[in-house]
Amino acid sequence: MSTITRTLGNIRKVGLKDTGDTKAGVLIGTDKFGNKFFENKDELPLRTRWVDYAKHDYDAAHIEPLWHAWISYAVDTPPNQDPIKAASEKPWSPKEHVPNRTFTRGAFKTYNTTKPKIKAWEPFAAPR
Amino acid sequence: MLSSARTAASLALRARPTASLVPFRAAAALSTSSRNDAASAVQPHAGYGLAKRERKEVPLPSQEGTKGLVQYALTTLDIMTNWARQGSLWPMTFGLACCAVEMMHLSTPRYDQDRLGIIFRASPRQSDVMIVAGTLTNKMAPALRQVYDQMPEPRWVISMGSCANGGGYYHYSYSVVRGCDRIVPVDVYVPGCPPTSEALMYGIFQLQRKMRNTKITRMWYRK
Repeated sequence: MSTITRTLGNIRKVGLKDTGDTKAGVLIGTDKFGNKFFENKDELPLRTRWVDYAKHDYDAAHIEPLWHAWISYAVDTPPNQDPIKAASEKPWSPKEHVPNRTFTRGAFKTYNTTKPKIKAWEPFAAPR
Repeated sequence: MLSSARTAASLALRARPTASLVPFRAAAALSTSSRNDAASAVQPHAGYGLAKRERKEVPLPSQEGTKGLVQYALTTLDIMTNWARQGSLWPMTFGLACCAVEMMHLSTPRYDQDRLGIIFRASPRQSDVMIVAGTLTNKMAPALRQVYDQMPEPRWVISMGSCANGGGYYHYSYSVVRGCDRIVPVDVYVPGCPPTSEALMYGIFQLQRKMRNTKITRMWYRK
Protein backbone atom coordinates (compact mmCIF):
# COMPACT_ATOMS: atom_id res chain seq x y z
CA MET A 1 0.00 0.00 0.00
CA SER A 2 1.47 3.19 -1.11
CA THR A 3 1.25 6.45 0.76
CA ILE A 4 1.08 9.93 -0.73
CA THR A 5 4.52 10.89 0.56
CA ARG A 6 5.99 7.72 -0.91
CA THR A 7 4.27 8.34 -4.22
CA LEU A 8 5.53 11.94 -4.34
CA GLY A 9 9.02 10.84 -3.38
CA ASN A 10 9.06 8.22 -6.11
CA ILE A 11 7.76 10.72 -8.66
CA ARG A 12 10.58 13.06 -7.62
CA LYS A 13 13.07 10.26 -8.16
CA VAL A 14 11.96 8.85 -11.52
CA GLY A 15 9.89 11.64 -13.01
CA LEU A 16 6.42 11.41 -14.45
CA LYS A 17 7.24 9.11 -17.35
CA ASP A 18 7.61 5.80 -15.55
CA THR A 19 4.92 6.09 -12.94
CA GLY A 20 2.74 3.20 -13.87
CA ASP A 21 3.35 2.03 -10.35
CA THR A 22 4.42 4.23 -7.48
CA LYS A 23 7.81 2.63 -7.31
CA ALA A 24 11.31 3.77 -8.11
CA GLY A 25 13.96 1.31 -9.19
CA VAL A 26 16.79 0.44 -11.49
CA LEU A 27 15.90 -0.51 -15.06
CA ILE A 28 17.30 -4.02 -15.36
CA GLY A 29 16.34 -4.67 -18.94
CA THR A 30 13.80 -4.48 -21.73
CA ASP A 31 12.59 -7.54 -23.56
CA LYS A 32 11.71 -7.93 -27.24
CA PHE A 33 8.15 -6.74 -26.72
CA GLY A 34 9.24 -3.55 -24.95
CA ASN A 35 8.26 -4.55 -21.43
CA LYS A 36 10.54 -2.86 -18.92
CA PHE A 37 11.81 -4.74 -15.90
CA PHE A 38 12.79 -2.93 -12.73
CA GLU A 39 14.38 -3.83 -9.45
CA ASN A 40 14.70 -2.08 -6.13
CA LYS A 41 16.24 -4.07 -3.30
CA ASP A 42 14.91 -1.66 -0.67
CA GLU A 43 11.34 -2.76 -1.18
CA LEU A 44 9.67 -5.42 0.92
CA PRO A 45 10.57 -9.02 0.08
CA LEU A 46 8.75 -10.40 -2.99
CA ARG A 47 8.01 -6.85 -4.11
CA THR A 48 11.52 -6.00 -5.25
CA ARG A 49 11.10 -6.87 -8.93
CA TRP A 50 8.36 -5.59 -11.18
CA VAL A 51 7.48 -5.03 -14.80
CA ASP A 52 6.14 -2.07 -16.70
CA TYR A 53 4.16 -3.51 -19.59
CA ALA A 54 4.49 -2.08 -23.06
CA LYS A 55 0.84 -2.60 -23.93
CA HIS A 56 -1.99 -0.91 -22.11
CA ASP A 57 -4.14 -4.02 -22.30
CA TYR A 58 -1.48 -5.96 -20.51
CA ASP A 59 -1.36 -9.61 -19.70
CA ALA A 60 1.08 -11.66 -17.68
CA ALA A 61 1.69 -13.89 -20.70
CA HIS A 62 3.40 -10.97 -22.46
CA ILE A 63 6.48 -11.75 -20.36
CA GLU A 64 8.95 -14.16 -21.91
CA PRO A 65 9.71 -17.36 -20.00
CA LEU A 66 13.18 -16.41 -18.74
CA TRP A 67 12.07 -12.97 -17.70
CA HIS A 68 9.14 -14.65 -15.99
CA ALA A 69 11.62 -16.83 -14.10
CA TRP A 70 13.51 -13.74 -13.03
CA ILE A 71 10.47 -11.75 -12.00
CA SER A 72 9.11 -14.72 -10.04
CA TYR A 73 12.41 -15.00 -8.12
CA ALA A 74 13.26 -18.38 -9.61
CA VAL A 75 16.67 -17.15 -10.82
CA ASP A 76 19.02 -14.45 -9.57
CA THR A 77 20.44 -13.11 -12.79
CA PRO A 78 18.16 -11.52 -15.37
CA PRO A 79 18.31 -13.13 -18.84
CA ASN A 80 20.12 -10.22 -20.44
CA GLN A 81 23.01 -10.62 -17.98
CA ASP A 82 23.01 -14.40 -17.84
CA PRO A 83 26.01 -16.05 -19.58
CA ILE A 84 24.42 -19.49 -19.33
CA LYS A 85 21.31 -18.32 -21.17
CA ALA A 86 23.29 -17.35 -24.29
CA ALA A 87 25.08 -20.71 -24.26
CA SER A 88 21.89 -22.67 -23.76
CA GLU A 89 20.17 -21.55 -26.97
CA LYS A 90 19.22 -24.85 -28.57
CA PRO A 91 18.09 -25.29 -32.17
CA TRP A 92 14.89 -26.95 -30.99
CA SER A 93 14.02 -24.23 -28.59
CA PRO A 94 11.17 -21.97 -29.74
CA LYS A 95 12.42 -19.00 -31.67
CA GLU A 96 10.06 -16.48 -30.18
CA HIS A 97 7.63 -16.28 -27.33
CA VAL A 98 3.97 -16.75 -28.19
CA PRO A 99 1.70 -14.75 -25.90
CA ASN A 100 -1.79 -15.81 -24.93
CA ARG A 101 -4.10 -15.53 -27.94
CA THR A 102 -7.29 -15.18 -25.92
CA PHE A 103 -9.50 -12.27 -27.08
CA THR A 104 -7.66 -12.07 -30.39
CA ARG A 105 -8.29 -13.58 -33.81
CA GLY A 106 -5.92 -16.40 -32.95
CA ALA A 107 -7.99 -17.57 -29.98
CA PHE A 108 -8.48 -21.29 -29.61
CA LYS A 109 -11.68 -22.72 -30.95
CA THR A 110 -12.74 -26.24 -30.25
CA TYR A 111 -12.99 -28.56 -33.19
CA ASN A 112 -14.11 -32.11 -33.74
CA THR A 113 -11.97 -34.82 -35.27
CA THR A 114 -14.41 -37.70 -35.00
CA LYS A 115 -17.09 -38.70 -37.44
CA PRO A 116 -20.54 -37.42 -36.55
CA LYS A 117 -22.57 -40.06 -34.74
CA ILE A 118 -25.85 -38.82 -36.12
CA LYS A 119 -26.59 -39.03 -39.80
CA ALA A 120 -29.45 -36.81 -40.77
CA TRP A 121 -32.30 -38.35 -42.70
CA GLU A 122 -32.60 -36.92 -46.15
CA PRO A 123 -36.28 -36.39 -46.84
CA PHE A 124 -37.18 -37.80 -50.20
CA ALA A 125 -40.64 -38.35 -51.56
CA ALA A 126 -40.95 -40.72 -54.48
CA PRO A 127 -43.03 -39.25 -57.25
CA ARG A 128 -46.39 -40.96 -57.63
CA MET B 1 -64.24 -36.40 -49.19
CA LEU B 2 -61.92 -38.44 -47.05
CA SER B 3 -58.93 -36.21 -47.67
CA SER B 4 -60.89 -33.08 -46.85
CA ALA B 5 -62.05 -34.66 -43.58
CA ARG B 6 -58.48 -35.51 -42.74
CA THR B 7 -57.44 -31.93 -43.45
CA ALA B 8 -60.14 -30.64 -41.18
CA ALA B 9 -59.05 -33.05 -38.45
CA SER B 10 -55.44 -32.05 -38.74
CA LEU B 11 -56.41 -28.39 -38.62
CA ALA B 12 -58.50 -29.02 -35.54
CA LEU B 13 -55.51 -30.65 -33.87
CA ARG B 14 -53.41 -27.57 -34.47
CA ALA B 15 -52.90 -25.41 -31.45
CA ARG B 16 -53.38 -22.21 -33.39
CA PRO B 17 -54.97 -22.73 -36.81
CA THR B 18 -53.61 -20.17 -39.18
CA ALA B 19 -56.11 -18.54 -41.46
CA SER B 20 -53.67 -18.25 -44.34
CA LEU B 21 -53.17 -22.00 -44.41
CA VAL B 22 -56.81 -22.88 -44.88
CA PRO B 23 -57.31 -21.79 -48.53
CA PHE B 24 -54.08 -23.55 -49.51
CA ARG B 25 -55.19 -26.76 -47.85
CA ALA B 26 -58.58 -26.46 -49.50
CA ALA B 27 -56.93 -26.11 -52.88
CA ALA B 28 -54.66 -29.04 -52.14
CA ALA B 29 -57.66 -31.24 -51.32
CA LEU B 30 -59.12 -30.56 -54.76
CA SER B 31 -56.19 -31.53 -56.93
CA THR B 32 -54.01 -34.58 -56.44
CA SER B 33 -51.10 -33.24 -58.47
CA SER B 34 -50.31 -30.61 -55.87
CA ARG B 35 -48.98 -33.29 -53.52
CA ASN B 36 -45.93 -33.76 -55.70
CA ASP B 37 -45.35 -30.05 -55.67
CA ALA B 38 -45.51 -30.05 -51.90
CA ALA B 39 -43.02 -32.91 -51.75
CA SER B 40 -40.60 -31.22 -54.11
CA ALA B 41 -40.92 -28.00 -52.14
CA VAL B 42 -39.07 -29.67 -49.26
CA GLN B 43 -35.58 -28.21 -49.26
CA PRO B 44 -32.85 -30.83 -49.44
CA HIS B 45 -30.11 -30.10 -46.96
CA ALA B 46 -26.50 -31.09 -46.43
CA GLY B 47 -25.56 -34.66 -45.61
CA TYR B 48 -24.99 -34.42 -41.87
CA GLY B 49 -27.55 -31.79 -41.14
CA LEU B 50 -24.89 -29.17 -40.48
CA ALA B 51 -25.91 -25.96 -42.12
CA LYS B 52 -23.03 -24.13 -43.79
CA ARG B 53 -22.99 -20.67 -42.37
CA GLU B 54 -21.23 -17.74 -43.91
CA ARG B 55 -18.15 -16.61 -42.02
CA LYS B 56 -18.91 -13.23 -40.54
CA GLU B 57 -16.18 -11.20 -38.93
CA VAL B 58 -17.10 -8.72 -36.25
CA PRO B 59 -14.43 -6.38 -34.92
CA LEU B 60 -12.93 -7.35 -31.61
CA PRO B 61 -13.54 -5.00 -28.69
CA SER B 62 -9.90 -3.99 -28.88
CA GLN B 63 -10.15 -3.21 -32.57
CA GLU B 64 -13.02 -0.78 -32.62
CA GLY B 65 -12.26 2.79 -31.72
CA THR B 66 -14.44 5.54 -30.38
CA LYS B 67 -16.39 7.40 -33.02
CA GLY B 68 -18.25 10.52 -32.06
CA LEU B 69 -18.96 12.34 -28.86
CA VAL B 70 -21.78 10.06 -27.66
CA GLN B 71 -19.73 6.95 -28.03
CA TYR B 72 -16.82 8.61 -26.29
CA ALA B 73 -19.02 9.47 -23.32
CA LEU B 74 -20.55 6.00 -23.24
CA THR B 75 -17.10 4.41 -23.43
CA THR B 76 -16.07 6.45 -20.42
CA LEU B 77 -19.18 5.31 -18.57
CA ASP B 78 -18.39 1.73 -19.51
CA ILE B 79 -14.83 2.09 -18.28
CA MET B 80 -16.07 3.37 -14.94
CA THR B 81 -18.62 0.57 -14.56
CA ASN B 82 -16.14 -2.06 -15.59
CA TRP B 83 -13.54 -0.66 -13.22
CA ALA B 84 -16.00 -0.98 -10.36
CA ARG B 85 -16.92 -4.50 -11.40
CA GLN B 86 -13.32 -5.64 -11.70
CA GLY B 87 -12.35 -4.18 -8.36
CA SER B 88 -14.76 -6.21 -6.27
CA LEU B 89 -15.16 -9.62 -7.74
CA TRP B 90 -17.00 -11.75 -5.22
CA PRO B 91 -16.83 -15.40 -6.16
CA MET B 92 -19.40 -17.99 -5.29
CA THR B 93 -17.35 -20.89 -4.02
CA PHE B 94 -18.40 -23.99 -5.80
CA GLY B 95 -15.61 -26.28 -4.69
CA LEU B 96 -16.34 -29.83 -5.72
CA ALA B 97 -13.02 -31.68 -5.60
CA CYS B 98 -9.27 -31.23 -5.32
CA CYS B 99 -9.35 -28.05 -7.44
CA ALA B 100 -11.09 -26.43 -4.50
CA VAL B 101 -7.89 -26.82 -2.48
CA GLU B 102 -6.03 -24.74 -5.05
CA MET B 103 -8.88 -22.27 -5.00
CA MET B 104 -8.46 -22.02 -1.24
CA HIS B 105 -4.75 -21.40 -1.71
CA LEU B 106 -5.65 -18.36 -3.74
CA SER B 107 -7.17 -16.80 -0.66
CA THR B 108 -4.21 -17.61 1.60
CA PRO B 109 -1.46 -15.02 2.20
CA ARG B 110 0.88 -16.17 -0.54
CA TYR B 111 -1.46 -15.29 -3.39
CA ASP B 112 -3.77 -13.16 -1.30
CA GLN B 113 -6.85 -12.62 -3.39
CA ASP B 114 -8.11 -9.98 -0.96
CA ARG B 115 -5.68 -7.48 -2.43
CA LEU B 116 -7.58 -7.86 -5.72
CA GLY B 117 -10.89 -7.28 -3.98
CA ILE B 118 -11.89 -10.92 -4.27
CA ILE B 119 -13.78 -12.14 -1.24
CA PHE B 120 -15.40 -15.56 -1.16
CA ARG B 121 -19.09 -15.37 -0.50
CA ALA B 122 -21.04 -18.34 0.71
CA SER B 123 -24.26 -16.91 -0.70
CA PRO B 124 -25.02 -16.93 -4.41
CA ARG B 125 -27.27 -13.90 -4.01
CA GLN B 126 -24.35 -11.61 -3.25
CA SER B 127 -21.73 -13.03 -5.61
CA ASP B 128 -20.67 -12.01 -9.10
CA VAL B 129 -18.63 -14.92 -10.34
CA MET B 130 -18.93 -18.62 -9.78
CA ILE B 131 -15.73 -20.66 -9.76
CA VAL B 132 -16.66 -24.23 -10.59
CA ALA B 133 -13.72 -26.12 -9.12
CA GLY B 134 -13.78 -29.84 -9.55
CA THR B 135 -15.71 -32.74 -11.01
CA LEU B 136 -19.31 -31.94 -11.69
CA THR B 137 -21.38 -35.08 -11.26
CA ASN B 138 -24.86 -35.71 -12.56
CA LYS B 139 -26.15 -35.55 -9.02
CA MET B 140 -24.62 -32.14 -8.41
CA ALA B 141 -25.63 -30.64 -11.75
CA PRO B 142 -29.15 -29.49 -10.74
CA ALA B 143 -27.72 -27.87 -7.63
CA LEU B 144 -25.10 -26.07 -9.73
CA ARG B 145 -27.74 -24.78 -12.08
CA GLN B 146 -29.92 -23.66 -9.20
CA VAL B 147 -27.07 -21.79 -7.56
CA TYR B 148 -26.25 -20.17 -10.88
CA ASP B 149 -29.86 -19.12 -11.33
CA GLN B 150 -29.85 -17.57 -7.88
CA MET B 151 -26.92 -15.31 -8.70
CA PRO B 152 -27.88 -11.77 -9.71
CA GLU B 153 -26.88 -10.24 -13.03
CA PRO B 154 -24.17 -9.52 -14.08
CA ARG B 155 -22.65 -12.90 -13.40
CA TRP B 156 -19.69 -14.80 -14.70
CA VAL B 157 -18.52 -18.37 -14.49
CA ILE B 158 -14.95 -19.62 -14.30
CA SER B 159 -14.56 -23.29 -15.06
CA MET B 160 -11.53 -24.50 -13.17
CA GLY B 161 -9.69 -27.71 -13.96
CA SER B 162 -10.02 -30.46 -16.52
CA CYS B 163 -13.03 -32.05 -14.87
CA ALA B 164 -15.09 -28.88 -14.95
CA ASN B 165 -13.84 -28.00 -18.43
CA GLY B 166 -14.75 -31.24 -20.14
CA GLY B 167 -15.04 -34.12 -17.76
CA GLY B 168 -11.29 -34.61 -17.61
CA TYR B 169 -10.23 -37.87 -16.07
CA TYR B 170 -13.84 -38.88 -15.51
CA HIS B 171 -14.99 -38.06 -19.02
CA TYR B 172 -16.14 -41.63 -19.69
CA SER B 173 -17.74 -42.14 -16.32
CA TYR B 174 -21.44 -42.85 -16.19
CA SER B 175 -22.12 -40.29 -13.51
CA VAL B 176 -20.09 -37.24 -14.50
CA VAL B 177 -21.17 -34.25 -16.54
CA ARG B 178 -18.76 -33.85 -19.45
CA GLY B 179 -17.98 -30.25 -18.76
CA CYS B 180 -19.86 -27.74 -16.66
CA ASP B 181 -20.53 -25.71 -19.81
CA ARG B 182 -23.33 -28.18 -20.46
CA ILE B 183 -25.07 -26.77 -17.42
CA VAL B 184 -24.04 -23.11 -17.22
CA PRO B 185 -22.46 -20.69 -19.70
CA VAL B 186 -18.74 -20.44 -18.98
CA ASP B 187 -16.63 -17.31 -19.47
CA VAL B 188 -13.14 -18.51 -18.66
CA TYR B 189 -11.73 -22.02 -18.79
CA VAL B 190 -8.68 -22.64 -16.62
CA PRO B 191 -6.86 -25.78 -17.79
CA GLY B 192 -4.91 -28.05 -15.51
CA CYS B 193 -5.39 -31.02 -13.24
CA PRO B 194 -5.61 -29.26 -10.85
CA PRO B 195 -4.55 -25.82 -12.06
CA THR B 196 -2.15 -24.03 -9.78
CA SER B 197 -3.37 -21.09 -7.79
CA GLU B 198 -1.36 -18.90 -10.12
CA ALA B 199 -3.25 -20.37 -13.07
CA LEU B 200 -6.56 -19.60 -11.41
CA MET B 201 -5.35 -16.09 -10.66
CA TYR B 202 -4.37 -15.71 -14.29
CA GLY B 203 -7.84 -16.91 -15.24
CA ILE B 204 -9.32 -14.24 -13.01
CA PHE B 205 -7.12 -11.67 -14.75
CA GLN B 206 -8.44 -12.90 -18.08
CA LEU B 207 -11.97 -12.51 -16.78
CA GLN B 208 -11.10 -8.97 -15.74
CA ARG B 209 -9.84 -8.35 -19.26
CA LYS B 210 -13.13 -9.65 -20.57
CA MET B 211 -15.03 -7.36 -18.23
CA ARG B 212 -12.87 -4.46 -19.36
CA ASN B 213 -13.99 -5.10 -22.93
CA THR B 214 -17.69 -5.37 -22.07
CA LYS B 215 -19.80 -2.77 -23.83
CA ILE B 216 -22.62 -2.11 -21.40
CA THR B 217 -24.03 1.31 -22.22
CA ARG B 218 -22.73 1.16 -25.76
CA MET B 219 -24.84 -1.91 -26.45
CA TRP B 220 -27.80 -0.22 -24.78
CA TYR B 221 -27.28 2.81 -27.04
CA ARG B 222 -27.16 0.64 -30.14
CA LYS B 223 -30.64 -0.70 -29.42
